[in-house]
Amino acid sequence: MKINDAKDFWSGVMFAAFGLFFVVFSQRYDMGSAARMGPAFFPTMLGGLLLLLGIVTMFKGLTTKSAASKVDRFHFRPLLLVLGAVVAFGLLLRPGGLLVALAALVFISSLGSDEFRLRDVLLLTIGLAVLVLIVFIYALDMTVPVLPAFLRT
Amino acid sequence: MDLINNLALGFSTALTFANLAYAFAGVLIGTLIGVLPGIGPIATLAMLLPTTYALEPTSALIMLAGIYYGAQYGGSTTAILVNLPGESSSVVTCIDGYQMARRGRAGSALAIAALGSFFAGTVGTLVLAALALPMVELAFKFGPAEYFSLMVLGLIGAVVLASGSLIKAIAMIVLGLLLGLVGTDVNSGVARFNFDVPELADGIGFVTVAMGVFGFAEIIANLEHKGKRQVFTDKVGRLLPSREEFKYAVPAVLRGTALGSVLGVLPGGGALLAAFAAYTVEKKITRNPDPPFGQGNIRGVAAPESANNAGAQTSFIPMLTLGIPPNAVMALMVGAMTIHNIQPGPQVMTSNPSLFWGLIASMWIGNLMLVILNLPLIGIWVQLLKVPYRLLYPAILVFCCIGVYSINNNTFDVSMTAAFGVLGYLFFKLRCEPAPLILGFILGPMMEENLRRAMLLSRGDPTVFFTRPLSLTLLLMAAALVVIVLLPQINKTREQAFQEGD
Repeated sequence: MKINDAKDFWSGVMFAAFGLFFVVFSQRYDMGSAARMGPAFFPTMLGGLLLLLGIVTMFKGLTTKSAASKVDRFHFRPLLLVLGAVVAFGLLLRPGGLLVALAALVFISSLGSDEFRLRDVLLLTIGLAVLVLIVFIYALDMTVPVLPAFLRT
Repeated sequence: MDLINNLALGFSTALTFANLAYAFAGVLIGTLIGVLPGIGPIATLAMLLPTTYALEPTSALIMLAGIYYGAQYGGSTTAILVNLPGESSSVVTCIDGYQMARRGRAGSALAIAALGSFFAGTVGTLVLAALALPMVELAFKFGPAEYFSLMVLGLIGAVVLASGSLIKAIAMIVLGLLLGLVGTDVNSGVARFNFDVPELADGIGFVTVAMGVFGFAEIIANLEHKGKRQVFTDKVGRLLPSREEFKYAVPAVLRGTALGSVLGVLPGGGALLAAFAAYTVEKKITRNPDPPFGQGNIRGVAAPESANNAGAQTSFIPMLTLGIPPNAVMALMVGAMTIHNIQPGPQVMTSNPSLFWGLIASMWIGNLMLVILNLPLIGIWVQLLKVPYRLLYPAILVFCCIGVYSINNNTFDVSMTAAFGVLGYLFFKLRCEPAPLILGFILGPMMEENLRRAMLLSRGDPTVFFTRPLSLTLLLMAAALVVIVLLPQINKTREQAFQEGD
């Protein structure tokens, strides 16, 4: 079998997988009756619908007559670095404090761009740190550790 | 007269110093972020939502409304100067606006866009104020069956007007509905789909989804597109349009406003549809346009810009009176209201009149501020366009991350946002429009609740949706929408219309 519209086909696979997941997972809960619906009723209905829509989309991707279309290349570098930076921020915030987490976020995410310049990133980090301290810590009085755990009193 | 009294109450709320300051801050920050290329109103709102948590509900909503207009207007500025639509509704503005900029008439394009938007915003606000009372009265006749059918109509409407594949848009809605169900079920107290993660028991945060799918995914997508952008920064030119330009623009603004006000109320309508329709109408009715459309005709800026602002305004009607968001931006506003413990729906107007009318009044004030703010400050916005993206996006990420964390003081939410960023990037690659997902996400729990109540009242008889006249009408309207879109002729025009936009 030949895939004609790869975007449609893989979208279909994604939807079908999500649908199947919700249908199967819902069965852990009580279905109830039509008059007294349990927690499983609505998700099972919707999951089934999504599974069906996914399968139809997959078939559309296989049978469509339009010119073959491919899924654009995935750019894993910006994806991993930008989202990795976000995760690093989350992990570092409590133990490392706001300043460390912010520096990590700015540095790692900046690597995702093709034009990384160390001097600019350093200046950006300092500028953002000052701005964040003024806005979030002093003005909005946010409760978040600023310094790393070992420096806190 | 009631309307006058209500508006007076609204203005007395909106004109307090604090609320004026929040409206001003909203418009300013909204424009600031909205001007940045590739960041539309939805992403802007999602990013800035957390900054309003600390405020009291009225001020928070006033500020958010300001952010929305600001972002919308900032998007037009980018469209005209860089030929890069910040959001889908300014795609149309790009066509003629950018050509005007190339001819050295960027100044008048920007001025007409601002003045047209202000006029349209004023009319839109009046329509909103006038329609609010009758709509709320209608809403009180609604039972759970009607609400369910109305949501079906709203979701179908949103799908029909979304660009791209119909079936994928429906699937995105259903996926959104399902994601909205994660968390504790209110009726049985069972925590659903939580994988025993305690943080998921309260459900997935609304900001988490919106910021991941729109904000982060957009940043990653922007990093892929390298090509240099040409910004017409040095020759914005005279701001005051010539007499001839005024002569052409005024009727276009009037037509755009009328069309936008009507289309904004429709489910799934709002700014995008209004802008497209207004541009098409101008093209159809103008004889011998000089210069032709697509080469810098002022009507091509005036009409869609007025229409999208009027539509933006009137799309608040179903959200404020029925509690049903007609598009993704309004879904964000509903999310914001729920965070402030205001259950959107017809009762808001009666139980919280100063919030309701204050918000409406502040919309007009926000529009006025846009004109005052943007025309003199245009130079600053232009400078902002020169800031390289490699410095912008880490800064945006910092504010996003702190924002997400501050909602629940929870680092789990930050990682969760990253996960939705991956999903958003996948949607982007597979050409699945994410706006319907957000709409579904907000409506998921509401739909389930109303379905359950309706079925409980009818003792399990599903025909209740067809035997109650109001509910039947709504469902028939939804069915009619689907049929119309599936007609081969219409389907073709629809595809063409959206292709022009790309």
